[in-house]
Amino acid sequence: MDFFIDSFLSAASLIWSMDPEFLVVVYVSLKVSSTSTLIASIVGVPTGFLIAFTEFRGRRLLITILNTLLSLPTVVVGLFVYAFISRRGVFGVYDLLYTQKAMVIGQVILIVPIVTTFTIAAISRIDERYRKTALTLGANLLQTAWLILREARFGIAAAIIAAFGRVIAEVGISMMLGGNAKGFTRTMTTAMALEYDKGLFVLSVALGIVLLTVSFAVNLFFNYFQGKARV
Amino acid sequence: MLYAMKNVKKRYEGRTVLDLEALSLGKGKILVLQGPNGAGKTTLLEIMAFLSSPTSGEMWFDGRKVDFTGNSLMGLRQKVVLVQQHAILFTTTVSRNVELPLRIRKTPKRARKQIVEDLLNLVGMEALGDARAHRLSGGETQRVAIAQALACYPEVILLDEPTANVDVENQMAIERTIRDINRTKGISVIFTTHDMIQASRIAEETVFLFEGKKARSTYENIFSAHMELDEDPWKYSVLQNGLRLRVQSEKLGRVRICIDPRAVRLSRSGSSEDNTFQGRLVQLADEENRVRAHVDVGMLLSVLVPKDVFSGMDLGVGDPVWITCPAESIEVLG
Repeated sequence: MDFFIDSFLSAASLIWSMDPEFLVVVYVSLKVSSTSTLIASIVGVPTGFLIAFTEFRGRRLLITILNTLLSLPTVVVGLFVYAFISRRGVFGVYDLLYTQKAMVIGQVILIVPIVTTFTIAAISRIDERYRKTALTLGANLLQTAWLILREARFGIAAAIIAAFGRVIAEVGISMMLGGNAKGFTRTMTTAMALEYDKGLFVLSVALGIVLLTVSFAVNLFFNYFQGKARV
Repeated sequence: MLYAMKNVKKRYEGRTVLDLEALSLGKGKILVLQGPNGAGKTTLLEIMAFLSSPTSGEMWFDGRKVDFTGNSLMGLRQKVVLVQQHAILFTTTVSRNVELPLRIRKTPKRARKQIVEDLLNLVGMEALGDARAHRLSGGETQRVAIAQALACYPEVILLDEPTANVDVENQMAIERTIRDINRTKGISVIFTTHDMIQASRIAEETVFLFEGKKARSTYENIFSAHMELDEDPWKYSVLQNGLRLRVQSEKLGRVRICIDPRAVRLSRSGSSEDNTFQGRLVQLADEENRVRAHVDVGMLLSVLVPKDVFSGMDLGVGDPVWITCPAESIEVLG
């Protein structure tokens, strides 16, 4: 019991003290996770929309593959990207390894399937009558797509929130491609792993509590806007 | 001609749902497409709204042949608007829903506000402009959908069962709107309905559809039946409630039959004639020069009686009556 009380007190102290080193860790976590979520959304939402809305050969197979990729282990993504960006890799010349960019690349690969499959699910649930209504009211294909996306906005927002939750909590990619460099690529999860390795469990759990608090704040922010839009 | 069609067919998964040899619909009128469920009414409306293309056949709109494969459909959709059965509104306010076609057409903001107000006034929904569209009742949704369709400034408005599942107040409001937009704005209105009384009340012309084909009249009193052998060429058509009708037909086994309400005879007393059954008068409706009587003979049968004949019978709702379905009133549809 003392262990948890100490952890909570340490977490509160970490937040209260506004320790610059701690703030950088939180900042890097949010920056990398937000960037990868943004890029994955730009790629995943239109892809999901197209897959949901068009009929083509191999569509079901593609959806099955995307569903399979939902359980992609972060270590596998880390290894895969490492093979490409390490000194001897195809993109080795760009010197990406152990940078935030490398972490973003890995995280985007991890969550594009999440955004895409959740978008497919959200769009598929939209009543067919919306498409017909938009078309009969004179909307062109782009306007029709926009109106349908708008109707599916809560489902798509859920996809983006889920993707953000996945990347802010992952450790494998950040560790393998970021390298946990203090002040540069150290995130909350890699910092937790480090503290654990050093045997500082209290600080490790405290960081975990901070991570959940940050995650909760982000979700509150999204929910606030969802609630305002729904009425 | 507003619409002309030749050999228009529509197939879904190998099943022909629409098969029209020829169909012409005039301009500037209120027209009704009538027929039972599965008659192809919605399919035809969607083709006429350029939302769906026929599997084969040709269609002309306003004298011009429609190319369903080209990019011209978008332009044609600007002239024709369809209000679907159980219309659906976008998740926003009533006003913004009505405003949507104007935004699509890039109408200036100031003009949009006035047009939306006018249209909501027209359908009697001005008080609910700021209401959330998904909180409206079925009838109110339908009225807003009509206002939304009118914001497209269409030449033709197609309405699929506009008064289905709508209360009487909303039904009257929708009917009044249909008449108004036709008279004051000169918009051609084509709508589908099951309600024969409503059709005769509003429509200038009626097209009957049955099983995807144009029919000579509306098929009423349609029942599933089982044909059994009797003395050749007669057969018994046994209905689900056990009623046995003597008919002349080649067919055996499961069929659908229809009984022409105009050919059924209604009387106060029975006779030994074939296909005579006792029942009870459960509903009466005035229909131009005829009276529509619904008789419960174990199933509800609609009977049309000339007004002068009916008035001489001195009948009221609840009275016992006899009906006779002559062989010529029964058609075996297959």
